[in-house]
Amino acid sequence: MQILEVKNSDRAQLLQKSCDILAQGGLVLFPTETTYGAGVDATNPEAVAKLLRFKSRREGKPLSIAVPYFAAAEPYAIMNPQAEELAQQFLPGPVTVVVKGKGAVAPGVESEFGTLGIRVPDYELLLELLQLYGKPITATSANGSGEKRPYSVSDILSGLSAQQSSLIDLILDAGELPHNPPSTVIDTTLSAPVTLRAGEIRFGENWSEVGKNAITLTSSSQEETQSIAKRLVLKNWDRLKEVGLVIGLDGALGAGKTIFAKGVAEFLQISETITSPTYNYIEEYEYVRHGVTGYLYHLDMWKVGSEIEFQRLEVTKLLRSKNCVVIEWFGVVEPFLQEFLEKNNVPLLRVTISELGNMRTLQILEPTLSKLQATAEMSAHNGEKVGK
Amino acid sequence: MIQARNNPVPFILAIDTSCDETSVAVTQGCVALSNVVASQVQLHKEYGGVFPTVAKQAHKENIGPAVRAALQRAHLSWREIDLIAVTQGPGLAPALEVGIAYAKDLAKAHNKPLVPINHIEGHVLSPLVLPRTFKDLPSPLAANAAHDVLAVIVSGKHTDFIAVKKIGHYERLGWTIDDAAGEALDKVGRMLGLGYPAGPVLEEFAKKGDATALQFPLPMTTSGDYNLSFSGLKTFSRNKIEALSAGGLLTQTQIYDFSASFQKAIFRSICYKLNKILQDRKYTEVWLGGGVAANMKLRSMLRITLKPYGLKLRVPYSKKLCGDNAAMIGVVAGVQTIQPKSDLEREPRLKLV
Repeated sequence: MQILEVKNSDRAQLLQKSCDILAQGGLVLFPTETTYGAGVDATNPEAVAKLLRFKSRREGKPLSIAVPYFAAAEPYAIMNPQAEELAQQFLPGPVTVVVKGKGAVAPGVESEFGTLGIRVPDYELLLELLQLYGKPITATSANGSGEKRPYSVSDILSGLSAQQSSLIDLILDAGELPHNPPSTVIDTTLSAPVTLRAGEIRFGENWSEVGKNAITLTSSSQEETQSIAKRLVLKNWDRLKEVGLVIGLDGALGAGKTIFAKGVAEFLQISETITSPTYNYIEEYEYVRHGVTGYLYHLDMWKVGSEIEFQRLEVTKLLRSKNCVVIEWFGVVEPFLQEFLEKNNVPLLRVTISELGNMRTLQILEPTLSKLQATAEMSAHNGEKVGK
Repeated sequence: MIQARNNPVPFILAIDTSCDETSVAVTQGCVALSNVVASQVQLHKEYGGVFPTVAKQAHKENIGPAVRAALQRAHLSWREIDLIAVTQGPGLAPALEVGIAYAKDLAKAHNKPLVPINHIEGHVLSPLVLPRTFKDLPSPLAANAAHDVLAVIVSGKHTDFIAVKKIGHYERLGWTIDDAAGEALDKVGRMLGLGYPAGPVLEEFAKKGDATALQFPLPMTTSGDYNLSFSGLKTFSRNKIEALSAGGLLTQTQIYDFSASFQKAIFRSICYKLNKILQDRKYTEVWLGGGVAANMKLRSMLRITLKPYGLKLRVPYSKKLCGDNAAMIGVVAGVQTIQPKSDLEREPRLKLV
């Protein structure tokens, strides 16, 4: 192990020596704007294996890569707009942006789910080293797992076993670093929509025909939204008892989807408070209305990213007579559910809520009964004004 | 040979599989002799939330090893365990199912009584849990003497004010009527583009921002009750972020300031309702539990609220005890007598009162 004092060394020589060691699969400890870091060539499997021995007890936790600028990670990572924005906002700086990897780094660097952390450190010496080396190096703190954060070379060495110390090839000693916390990790790999644009109405293709018949109601209060919900469920009560009912809700965060769901619950005479089901995906409530007992399932599909995930939720099992299934962010899963609904003739009530100043507009697409009946009902409803 | 038991305080093996952590602990009275938490966070990260079927499978795989590890770390064998305690609800149905089924099997196999525990009561009593260094020492706080305490539970799933008349006697005074506090932090973090889970990132960034940079409304001031609502703050945030991003991508400072201001708005709302409760009712202490209880800013804001009343804020002794864990479940069983029940069923929507 060699220790070079940064301020007393020739910069060019120090950088060259570090690069040589990295190229030979060596382990270099270096200062960053957070703690001291431990780096090896992230594309060299043996070097990474050595780093993992040094860190010990990783329990499958992924490492990250350090690059001189964000785009330099492109050969190794699948970029996405959110990651690019974060890079623009925070890099270089103490933020690790997690994206999907291309499997182009050594085993152990990506997470077991194939995600890869990217770090562009805000530390000149390190940026110069990365630029000169031309390949990504691992970015992880220079302590053994579970040891205290390393802000000085003595911090590092005091926490290491002789065996761990023997793995170090070079330490770039910049003295005691300011005690900044470790980088903040931001995971952008979840593809769920982050919708800031309110009220975009996206009926699936097959709906475009019927979509023309959608009715629009306005609501000026939560109570009014709930009363609309109650009346819509009442209209479909017989079918709910027979085959069940799906209510598909869309609208931006805070538009009032859960308010609508509360109205449905109130109609079903559920006394419990209906809270957002985002965390668990599905909340189940038993109801008894006029002697009819069934379940209200309140689902939130915001985080569902793929059909496989959706299938695993086994939503179709919930769809049976007397059950009301309210699905927030329905647009996300509509393509996965449409065929089942059509085949089993499960009625779908589609509601898209948009904001209009302090008002809300509810675009409503009712279950098609027979075509004739539907047209008649809708035109009747169209002329109706919703009062308080 | 049957060994004479010279210890009158029973050893309890506790299991909690209410959500995404498989946890098993061994406790004695208020002391946690071991508290194993096998986290599924990494697993669920792929899904961006707790995925019911995945959670169930992971619990099944983790629970056996977790039970063995909990006994081993407590230096006890089955012979010395007096009682099994298991979370009955509230929680994720498929997850609860695994813990309960396993607990039933254990109770049968080792011939131990089994008691059902409410997960929320676990969070309420979590500030009572003591580290194992207190083994054989008198407890600094006699749990049985605790009376007229107000518990504040703040997590990603719950935001509750619960009055503890005494251990086992609770009254739910107020709760969130929409999102839990942790959930609101998470959603707004996502609006800011902070990935998933965004809550912890927002919390980090809040430390770097100016909490007075943005003025948020204070919700539910005229509701006349102790309930909370965060959906208005969410809508307000969305509009604010839209307005700010009209001038292009938000800057670092804007994101830091937004995080700090929004977090403060959430906590301020909790403090406002807490203050209302304290104006109306008398308590001897205030306890804090739940995942967000680990947040230092929340603790300091609560302490400021309590100051005029001369009340102490009691918090769990470690971060691990703030999140879901089985030690708090064991302590619930350890500080009171609960009727054993061998045929218990999961109750995903179980209420405390």
